[in-house]
Amino acid sequence: MSIATRRYTTNRVAIGLSVAAAAFGLFFLAAILWTLFWNGLSAMGPSIFLKMTPPPGSDGGLANAIFGSLVMTLLAVVIATPIGIMAGTYLSEYSGGSKIGEAAKFINDVLLSAPSIIVGLFIYAAFVVPFGHFSAWSGAIALAVIALPVINRTTQDMLALVPNALREASAALGSPRWKTMTMVIYRSARSGILTGVLLAIARVSGETAPLLFTALNNQYWSTDLNAPMSNLPVVIFQFAMSPYDDWQRLAWGGALIITVAILALNIIARSLAGRRSS
Amino acid sequence: MAMTDAASAPGVSPSDEAFARRLRRQDAIFVNLTWASATLVVVVLLGVLISLLIDALPAIRAFGLPFIWNERWSPAKEIFGAAAPIYGTLVTSAIAMVIGIPVSFGIAIFLTEICPQPLRRPIGTAIELLAGIPSIIYGLWGFFVLAPIMQTSVQPFLTDTLGQLPGIGILFSGAPYGIGLLTAGIVLAIMILPFITSVTRDVFNTVPVMLRESAYGMGMTTWEVVRHIIIPYTRLGLVGGIMLGLGRALGETMAVTFVIGNSHRIAASLLSPATTISASIANEFAEATEGLYTSSLVALGLILFFITFSVLAFAKWLLGRTEKF
Repeated sequence: MSIATRRYTTNRVAIGLSVAAAAFGLFFLAAILWTLFWNGLSAMGPSIFLKMTPPPGSDGGLANAIFGSLVMTLLAVVIATPIGIMAGTYLSEYSGGSKIGEAAKFINDVLLSAPSIIVGLFIYAAFVVPFGHFSAWSGAIALAVIALPVINRTTQDMLALVPNALREASAALGSPRWKTMTMVIYRSARSGILTGVLLAIARVSGETAPLLFTALNNQYWSTDLNAPMSNLPVVIFQFAMSPYDDWQRLAWGGALIITVAILALNIIARSLAGRRSS
Repeated sequence: MAMTDAASAPGVSPSDEAFARRLRRQDAIFVNLTWASATLVVVVLLGVLISLLIDALPAIRAFGLPFIWNERWSPAKEIFGAAAPIYGTLVTSAIAMVIGIPVSFGIAIFLTEICPQPLRRPIGTAIELLAGIPSIIYGLWGFFVLAPIMQTSVQPFLTDTLGQLPGIGILFSGAPYGIGLLTAGIVLAIMILPFITSVTRDVFNTVPVMLRESAYGMGMTTWEVVRHIIIPYTRLGLVGGIMLGLGRALGETMAVTFVIGNSHRIAASLLSPATTISASIANEFAEATEGLYTSSLVALGLILFFITFSVLAFAKWLLGRTEKF
């Protein structure tokens, strides 16, 4: 076999393997989506949005779980967004590449990739035990702790993209630093920061582990933030592991609702980010 | 500062000076607020660490260092050891990496070198979107779809073929439960696939077009360009991306809890039920009432934190070195 033939054969085998790997991986990902839509759509209907989580064997929906997820996600984002943006501002603008600033950036990345169940353990120890009961507040704070490093990191990255000339131009006009930030820099990085917030919402709304022992679950409609509150991920977990068919069907329905919501958030975030760069 | 000079210059009225002072005060408040927020992030991480340490202390006192290699986990007798969950965490992640790395590299090579140009963006975007899907979805799929298939077809097949081989046969022996280490590893592999693929694709795209084109211009085949130009150029970034994926697999809770079987025993076979650190915590923490039981679960969490932290630190160090290119 000549060298050329051998090279071309090796090439064909390697390319073949890589195409096969791509087909294999994409097949499984497609299979998951297909199962999700197939099972999820069969559970869809008005009652899933209108009725409460049922006891086994009777009819019901996920209204209280959807409401609880919305409330806790919203609270988490309201808590995490200002803190995350401010922290990102300090680390990107004012820490000036100092050792402490670099360390704080690294610590933020550690928090960003910390297993979410550990955040659940922390909030359990810090909020659930002292107050003596599970609550929607502690669930929301757990989610906020997960959203915070995401927003912090994207804010840092987005502010780093703002050209320095803008800061200098604003300073040359005599504006103080806070005015430069709020009137000039945040404005030009607005869509990027918003993208970060949307990604944080997407990340947080599917989180299950940190809610298992903070918000717990609630079979009924509850608006009390000091009481356990139902939420989609934990309901999906409990219903899927149950032996009841109608509970399992609702679990698939809930999974579809979460996935569609997260995909929508991601697509909006991407189109925002895309518009900025074009 | 210019402002101070202006304020003290002759002809400047006291009201101007007061105005400048007010601006400086507002500035100080703003900068201090941002500083406080950045500090809060650090405080939260310290809080996580300290609260884990405090809650794990009773277990650390009771069992000491042997906690890590003791396999026994008996809530009734209040004897706890972390060996089984640690073993399960490491083995499921190892399976996930063995399957996940070659497949994601295949997809990344496909996307950057082989795929027809008009398809690259849609497939790449689809994979990035899949990286955002919550892990509980992968767990559900593993539980309802993969586990039955594993039980009826894959596991009996593995036992009949690989299970008969001397040496590695023991890895594929035993009754087919459907759930267990192998199933959990496969679910994890599928879960980290989109993540590693997007990181890999991004680092592959950092190779300068000039370098790539000159290699092709010399008559190299596609595989040779990948093997001798792209992979050496992106080596550190690739390992960094893999480590980030590994960090995710190690700490993952929901994708694993459904299909691991929650058994605190170390069995040689990959087909047997097992447990991981995160699955143990998710399954048992709400039920654990006894002080030592809870504390042992938190101690498991602390071990997991250190494992994922070391992996992340290593990944950051590697990725940090690529940025200096």
